[in-house]
Amino acid sequence: MLAKLQDKYCIVGVGETEYSRGSGRSTRAMAAEAIRNAMGDAGLRAQDVDGMMSYHGGDSVPSTAVMYDLGIRPNFYMDCSGGGSSTEALVGLAMGAIEAGMCETVAIYRSMNGYSQIRIGGTGTRSAAPVASADLMRRTYGLASAVQTFAFTFTRHMMEYGVTSEHLASIKVAHSNHASNNPKALMKQRVTVDDVLNSRWIVRPCAHLLDCCLETDNATCIIVTSTERARDLKQSPAYIMAVQGRGTKPGGDFHYQHGPISRVAGYYVGPRIFDLAGVSHDDIDVTGCYDAFTYTNLLQYEEYGFCEKGEGKDYVSSGIINLGGRRPGNTSGGHLCEAYTHGMNMVIENVRQLRGKVDDYCPHWSDGEHTYDYSEGHCRQVKDAKISMNMGWGTPAVGSALILRR
Amino acid sequence: MPEYDYRGQRIIISDNDSEYKGYFEAAKEHRLVVKKCLDCGLLRGEPGPGCPWCTSLSWEWQTVSGKGTIHSYQIIAHSVLPGFRDWVPYAIVLVELDEQSGKPTPDDGLRITANLLDQNMTPEKEEEVAIGKRVEVAFLDMEDGLTLPQFRLSGEAPRGKVWRYPTQG
Repeated sequence: MLAKLQDKYCIVGVGETEYSRGSGRSTRAMAAEAIRNAMGDAGLRAQDVDGMMSYHGGDSVPSTAVMYDLGIRPNFYMDCSGGGSSTEALVGLAMGAIEAGMCETVAIYRSMNGYSQIRIGGTGTRSAAPVASADLMRRTYGLASAVQTFAFTFTRHMMEYGVTSEHLASIKVAHSNHASNNPKALMKQRVTVDDVLNSRWIVRPCAHLLDCCLETDNATCIIVTSTERARDLKQSPAYIMAVQGRGTKPGGDFHYQHGPISRVAGYYVGPRIFDLAGVSHDDIDVTGCYDAFTYTNLLQYEEYGFCEKGEGKDYVSSGIINLGGRRPGNTSGGHLCEAYTHGMNMVIENVRQLRGKVDDYCPHWSDGEHTYDYSEGHCRQVKDAKISMNMGWGTPAVGSALILRR
Repeated sequence: MPEYDYRGQRIIISDNDSEYKGYFEAAKEHRLVVKKCLDCGLLRGEPGPGCPWCTSLSWEWQTVSGKGTIHSYQIIAHSVLPGFRDWVPYAIVLVELDEQSGKPTPDDGLRITANLLDQNMTPEKEEEVAIGKRVEVAFLDMEDGLTLPQFRLSGEAPRGKVWRYPTQG
């Protein structure tokens, strides 16, 4: 049934705040700015936006507050609890709300003081909360942060497929090169494999400090509407070819009771989205993969079929994912180098890629003129990007995907 | 409602915690338990209210041997929990218990998370932590009445390949 919605909906506006470590303001203030920027990007007025959606982990601001700040009166809104991989899924739910006649244009946002307030890495407020229910089996044993939650999967995968720290580091290197051409990126400095290996360990054997994403204060927004409504808007739309998620492995939070634990949700999500989109891996020009840690990307490239299971280590260190490579990945720098946004910035980046207007250091990027010089401080536009794919990650057991075309 | 303080964390095992209360009550008696489905008879490593295999909501606690094999591991080099910093580096292991290994499908097993400790009940040396090594349950009794099921190396012959990534801090 969803297949007949292909290209019927699109992303028409994207926006964000500054990516910082110390926003000095509320998630409400940041959400208002990100939504306003996305409306401005799309050429939409407040009265044109009649749907709002957001996701949070008890660290954001509800739609009912931000609607006042921008004079938006939704016919539909929904704030849901959700982590990574919610971005893509909410794009699908926005399509559903519009298809059901509940509203016409939906602003999806995420706002978080993920560095200065509720640390996404689990220190501070989160580590001070009492331990009860399912946490009794985790935090009581000193298992608390995201990377610790994922590490059994990572370590087992290293054993089964011979992945090394060097393979993982090559992902960080690629993303840092991309970020060096992104004026918004929090960490613009290019790093080497040795830089990653020489950074301090967080969890052995699967994560050095530089294998981990950047806790960031930010808000982000993506606006979805119908292709029909998009016709008289400002930007060329990014058409939604297919969306899937949040799909899961058996067992959800307790997926490690089933096996193989080195398998992730993309195993289930991947075949469905390619089937719906009617495209193959060769058709994908650029990817955005949820790089909470370097390992999440390696696993997802395998599981979504960009390479065979076990060959992710070669895929990420072959140059394919670099700008100028066959299929560049996380061209903004992603969570590892641009900012940690809970998945939003990788979708935002792909929309800009498909427009041919990424905001790099090319003098006339806003006119779509790029040099395609991928050396430091220059271009990050992928030449002739027609189709993009996002692979969202919640946990090893939870994922979403989104395929867009220009 | 029992509350404990353990490594700087407030541990709350609520009276209506039908998932985990029995696990920690059994631990006080130095028994490791899993849930057994009263309809299909299968055990489950995560003590949830329903049977993942037949949806039955009828269950009872079953004591298991506490012997198993390290299925995966991690060494915490940076603790986000202040109360664990004196333990760094410490191992957290995912142990596959001997009972019901590879059933009802070849990829299934009863898998329990805990720390890998030594004979003094302090973290096992990192170079000793490896997938495939055999372990047995050990109970860490705290003064305020909390008991945590933990694991120690049993010294038995390993199951399958012994593997650890050749690195150290």
